[in-house]
Amino acid sequence: MASTEVKVALGCIAVRLAVTYLFPSLQQQLDQSVEFSTPVTSFRSLQEGIYLLRNNILVYNNGVVHHPPILVFFLSLFNSDKLISLIYASIDGLVAYQLTKMTKAFKNLRIKIWLPGLLYTVNPLVLLSCISRSSIIFTNFAISSSLYFLLTGGNVVLSSVMISVSGYLSLYPFLLLIPLLGMLKNWKQRIFSVIISLLSLSFLLLFSYSMLGGESWSFLTQVYGSIVSLEKVFPNLGLWWYFFIEMFDTFIPFFKAVFNIFIAAFITPFTLRYNKQPFYAFILCIGWIALTKPYPSLGDAGFFFSFLPFFTPLFGYLRYPIISALLFLHAVVLAPIFYYLWVGLGSGNSNFFYAISLVYALALASILVDLNWAMLRIEYDNGVPNFNLKVTQI
Amino acid sequence: MALLEKLHRRIVDMGLVPRIITLLPVISTLCALFGFISITILPMDGQYRRTYISENALMPSQAYSYFRESEWNILRGYRSQIEEMVNMTSTERNHLMGSWLQEFGTKTAVYENEQYGETLYGVMHAPRGDGTEAMVLAIPWFNSDDEFNIGGAALGVSLARFFSRWPVWSKNIIVVFSENPRAALRSWVEAYHTSLDLTGGSIEAAVVLDYSSAEDFFEYVEISYDGLNGELPNLDLVNVAISVTEHEGIKVSLHGLPDDQITDNDYWSRLKILLLGIRDWALSGVKNPHGNEAFSGWRIQSVTLKAHGHSGHDITTFGRIPEAMFRSINNLLEKFHQSFFFYLLLAPRQFVSISSYLPSAVVLSVAFVISSLNAFINNDYAKITFFSEYNLVALMVWFISLVISFIISQVFLLVPSAVLLMTISLASCFLPLVLSEKVHISEPLSYRLKNVAFLYFSLVSTSLLMINFAMALLIGTLAFPMTFIKTIVVEGPTEHEMHTKLPNSVKIEPEDEIELIKHQEVIVSEKTQQKLKLKNLLLLILTNPFVSITLFGLFFDNEFNGFDIINKLVSAWLDLKCWSWFILCIGWLPCWLLVLASSFGSKSVVMKSKEKQN
Repeated sequence: MASTEVKVALGCIAVRLAVTYLFPSLQQQLDQSVEFSTPVTSFRSLQEGIYLLRNNILVYNNGVVHHPPILVFFLSLFNSDKLISLIYASIDGLVAYQLTKMTKAFKNLRIKIWLPGLLYTVNPLVLLSCISRSSIIFTNFAISSSLYFLLTGGNVVLSSVMISVSGYLSLYPFLLLIPLLGMLKNWKQRIFSVIISLLSLSFLLLFSYSMLGGESWSFLTQVYGSIVSLEKVFPNLGLWWYFFIEMFDTFIPFFKAVFNIFIAAFITPFTLRYNKQPFYAFILCIGWIALTKPYPSLGDAGFFFSFLPFFTPLFGYLRYPIISALLFLHAVVLAPIFYYLWVGLGSGNSNFFYAISLVYALALASILVDLNWAMLRIEYDNGVPNFNLKVTQI
Repeated sequence: MALLEKLHRRIVDMGLVPRIITLLPVISTLCALFGFISITILPMDGQYRRTYISENALMPSQAYSYFRESEWNILRGYRSQIEEMVNMTSTERNHLMGSWLQEFGTKTAVYENEQYGETLYGVMHAPRGDGTEAMVLAIPWFNSDDEFNIGGAALGVSLARFFSRWPVWSKNIIVVFSENPRAALRSWVEAYHTSLDLTGGSIEAAVVLDYSSAEDFFEYVEISYDGLNGELPNLDLVNVAISVTEHEGIKVSLHGLPDDQITDNDYWSRLKILLLGIRDWALSGVKNPHGNEAFSGWRIQSVTLKAHGHSGHDITTFGRIPEAMFRSINNLLEKFHQSFFFYLLLAPRQFVSISSYLPSAVVLSVAFVISSLNAFINNDYAKITFFSEYNLVALMVWFISLVISFIISQVFLLVPSAVLLMTISLASCFLPLVLSEKVHISEPLSYRLKNVAFLYFSLVSTSLLMINFAMALLIGTLAFPMTFIKTIVVEGPTEHEMHTKLPNSVKIEPEDEIELIKHQEVIVSEKTQQKLKLKNLLLLILTNPFVSITLFGLFFDNEFNGFDIINKLVSAWLDLKCWSWFILCIGWLPCWLLVLASSFGSKSVVMKSKEKQN
């Protein structure tokens, strides 16, 4: 008799493989949609990188590949298409497994143990993101592993290593080290964790350097520089691209710095404010990064939502969950339609799509704000929900 | 936020929240009413605008048109030969026409499609252009009413001959002779963009000619512009067509308006054209296509010119319309982009833009959201937690009905039997009545089903808003009576507990916050229940997508007889790739199925939330 988490993980893998098998053309369609695929996560550019690597051509010389070298190298080991779908499905299955394990670790959680895993399995955002073979799921896996190691076994070393892996894969998640430190017990552990993660990050970078041989450090600008500086102004669900399309060149570096600082600015405050609920701070930070990163996809939002079932006691305090949910739902449904009106039919224009990406940002922001309120409110009630008490902001 | 906070506090202080909640059904109906009223306001003076040419380069009718009496004899010559073509096979006909076109230097080719027949087309290369852009003159051999397009074909070839002698063209001119304005033309357009060898660059605009009589004179011109799947040509092209036609002194008819009503321009005539426009826009492709529909989907702007009547203007006047239009389009340096892509015409020269008409469909969609909200909070079960079984089961039922609807849509593509579909639809309406003794659902589930149904419908209608406004408005209007269907409470939970699907598991899990308690309330009397059931039955029949669209076709459009609108929906997809069938099946039907499920007799469950202990 397999345990719940194994069942959930197997179910998750089965669902993904079944969808890939039933709709063989879905992967390419999703990979071409701006909601699931961005220049830094798309499978097409990853394939390009694999091709270049196999033929001993400089991978980071042509401005197409923005995936980190180890990921390209890892996936170049597998030739068959089926094997690659299996890898993607398994990675998602592992995340579902970890989610279920984490649910078990929280003793006083009043939800069914299989619920977060099941929701992760059927969550269409995560599901389609996995089918599109967006490389974001490797990052998500690293983040979830980091939480898993810390919450289930208290393994600081592996947890810190996984955070640096996620940072290595797509840069901004490295900021999650800060809320991770908040989850540790004492300063000794914290300093240890910082050292471990810095060491493992430098090891990963050095390993990439040595692996690429003659290419020196050019991969740094291609992989991380392109993210930080929004090198490819591509339409996506984020707040960045539209802003930088028509800006005078002289202002661009300044505003890119501002946008970057904006991402980092809220991480520490979240950690400090919720120092009694560090796990909560961690999840809020995931949501914050999903909202403000330069190349977001629906996979980011889906991953963020996968952790919300852990906070069911807060749901009673949410002030406008229906509005947030409707906003998000409409943004997700309308985004591809407005993109089609703009790029496909030509009867709309870029403002249509940007407007809907603003709605998407508003939805995510309102969810974050509401979650903040809920946690502050439950703090006010000292952890015993009292929904009848009316509290208002001054 | 502070302002909102203050407003919120004021509303709470005044105790408006519960009152608003009880009034939700009324608010929903008011929203829908507001939607309809805002449509009827549009034709009033001051609400609409006069059309104007937005792209200055077009300059319609600024150049003198030369297709006049000197060409009439040539046209007559061609026509007398074409009159004999009626009995030829299409290969012979196209061969002869092709040889004529080649006489003045047109490169011709025949596109052969096994299913839809042969299409002859010829490309005249632009003397002044780089050959990357083209304008299309399309002439279906048989027009939309299956009459032999004698005048159109004669005009087509004589115009081609006339154009070939001019050095002014900077875009290639493509002349197309297809068997019909429907699938044959559509398949040629598709082949042009995928497989044809002889091409002339990207098509900027297309004009379809329909002059089915062999006479020299006609009275007025009907201009059709609705594209497939809610696409409209850029308003600039329609404006050019209308202004050129009126410049020649010919009256313009829109949406099949008869001769004696063309010149009317008062509130009622504008309202009539507006409503006819919405109907034709929504059913475009399902109704008999005029030809311009075939060009939808490749960023091609197209209109159809159809000559009506037997006296008044001569046929060369009709020829001068495409001539002047081509001169205008020829001036363009960019694709059509200046003017509106979303508009409704009220008269040939009057229109409303999207910002004026969109709110009506938006509030209709909002009405569904409010109905959904009403089903969610306006009952005793509002406090059920998000992860409760009722919600999950409702979502599951939604998913199942989506799958069923998808299967239905696919099956009836293969077996397009309208009678069978109608029988099934009508029979399933009676299910709640027939099975009222045997099948019961729990009351909260019934509300949750409606909640999901209306939310889904509103999502569908919102996503259609921009892409196919008329369809959104049409299905929103036809489906709205669904929100009046009431949940019928048959009995308390104690007696038939074994039939209830859900509460059992609630009992098994003691840690759950919800508990079943013995039901005490008085149940509505038998008679009112019977009345409610009949009302529900009637509403279910009326709002079934297939029944509803058939009734709509029968009452508001004389093109449809019996159930053939269903067959036309199916063939519109198969021949023209028109999505209307799927909008009905995958957008509307799941919602209807959910409402059907919710109208089964239900048993109330009394909820009591335990004190939470943390």
